[in-house]
Amino acid sequence: MTGILASRALIKLELARALRNRKFLFFSVLYPSVIFLIFAGSSGTGEKVGGTGLTVATYLMVSMASFGALTAVLMGNSERIAKERESGWVRQLRLTPLPGHGYVLAKTASAAVVSLPSIVMVFVVAAVVKDVRLDAWQWLALTGVIWAGSLVFAALGVAIGYLASGDAVRPITMIVYFTLSLLGGLWMPSAGFPRWLQDIAEWLPTYAYAALGRAVEQSQAPQARDVAVLAVYFVLFAGGAAWLYRKDTLKA
Amino acid sequence: MPSPSYDICHPPLRTDGTAARTPLPASMTGMTTTTVATATDVPVVAGFEQVSKAYGNVRAVDGLSLALRPGETVALLGPNGAGKSTTLDLLLGLKQPDEGRVTVFGTGPREAIVAGRVGAMLQSGGLMEDVTVAELVGLACSLHPRPHPASEVLARAGITQIADRKVNKLSGGQAQRVRFALATAGDSDLIVLDEPTTGMDVSARHAFWATMREQAGQGRTVLFATHYLEEADAVADRVLVLHRGRLLADGTAAEIKARAGARRVSFDLTGAVDETVLAVLPALTSLDVSGQTVRIQSADADATVHAVYGLGLYPRNLEVAGLGLEQAFVAITEAEEAKRA
Repeated sequence: MTGILASRALIKLELARALRNRKFLFFSVLYPSVIFLIFAGSSGTGEKVGGTGLTVATYLMVSMASFGALTAVLMGNSERIAKERESGWVRQLRLTPLPGHGYVLAKTASAAVVSLPSIVMVFVVAAVVKDVRLDAWQWLALTGVIWAGSLVFAALGVAIGYLASGDAVRPITMIVYFTLSLLGGLWMPSAGFPRWLQDIAEWLPTYAYAALGRAVEQSQAPQARDVAVLAVYFVLFAGGAAWLYRKDTLKA
Repeated sequence: MPSPSYDICHPPLRTDGTAARTPLPASMTGMTTTTVATATDVPVVAGFEQVSKAYGNVRAVDGLSLALRPGETVALLGPNGAGKSTTLDLLLGLKQPDEGRVTVFGTGPREAIVAGRVGAMLQSGGLMEDVTVAELVGLACSLHPRPHPASEVLARAGITQIADRKVNKLSGGQAQRVRFALATAGDSDLIVLDEPTTGMDVSARHAFWATMREQAGQGRTVLFATHYLEEADAVADRVLVLHRGRLLADGTAAEIKARAGARRVSFDLTGAVDETVLAVLPALTSLDVSGQTVRIQSADADATVHAVYGLGLYPRNLEVAGLGLEQAFVAITEAEEAKRA
């Protein structure tokens, strides 16, 4: 808690900066909705995705909301951290009383502030354009689950930001981002994959992430396995980020 | 770059009445000094005790011991690769020593920074992008436990006029002043500056040091690394010469110059010049005879000149001039190199 108190000045400034960056904001908030419309565009309103009982639009809504949150937190964290490590701003911050994790906290907070509207935007577009209807509790639970779940990828973004430097960070982030999105079934149901690929996909964090949202849509409790998979990845990513952070601190 | 007169030793430019320490005896000449303040009544602002730091096979800092005392303005001098940056990094807790101990106000460097006792600007310190100068300085003030008002910090650094400008649109000199503002955002007792005037023009540099003296005048301890030797000469009341990670000299600028053979004496002689006769002159550190012209470096020019007359010689065109700190610095580091060779 002391970390949050001491870091609030930086969090405030990071938020102001994130909201000022119109290009990033526009991209992060609208992009998932646009892809949603493209993918869901051709499907009829009653068309179901096999084995789920959900309409194509409802199914894709969770995929794209998850994808949007993933975009905001992963891209936001990794590239900024790598750049600021290189420019020496991270070093300069270490000459202030700001606790070390305060920087990561501020970065993650500003990414989360961008990811929330991107999630809500997909919901609004889905409801208005594709007539997706859910109970009030489901909308709220979906927002909460997808927003909270994005922390896993925020941690991954931090880890990549401390792992890669300079020119390498963008390609690495892109590869991770597209692999996770595609194989995790955020763009198309993984049921269409060959068997061996499906076996891999099931263990990806993005797969479990979208499964959480789908469980809410099906009025079910999230599957214990998905929660466990996400928890393990969170520990892995956060632990890796902490380890890389400390390594960077000693090297800087 | 000849120094024109005897009068090149600037008095230490301190406003709080602290006088420069008495020069050390000439016996220190040629010795490697690693003096540590041992007086128990003087509190130590920052201390290095036998600190070493190596990168692979290169010992960047090699058994360094030193102590900074309250209110001093100390210059850290050294050629590239002497270990200046590593020394500052160790002092600020950005690097951990392999051996030895670094203390700042009796605690570890990080604890001292958290307590708000240390303000620092690094050459390598980047700035947050996409925010204004005022926002960045405001952040530094908010993070400091004993902050100054942001408007005051901006004014002192001379950046009030550019307060609304984006940080990534600044010139090199302006960025340096913003870094300085970050280092002085609060009431810190020790200010550490790494090459603070890099990228500034001459007038900005003068203005910068005027501000810095004001800070020192308020009783703050200032440590700065520089490669502008005239800055060390004019501003510092103590100069540390670092070479290959070790402390080669520690004293006032005047003492450093004295140590290197501070005066150059030159004169012409008529008739044959006998070098062996001249070689017995007292306080000589070097002797160079070319034709009728004799050039001497002397640790005690008065005694040397007196002895020249004592030999019954009649020097003409006699000139006595001080070595600049730069020449002294070169002499000291070259002597060290020669010793190693």
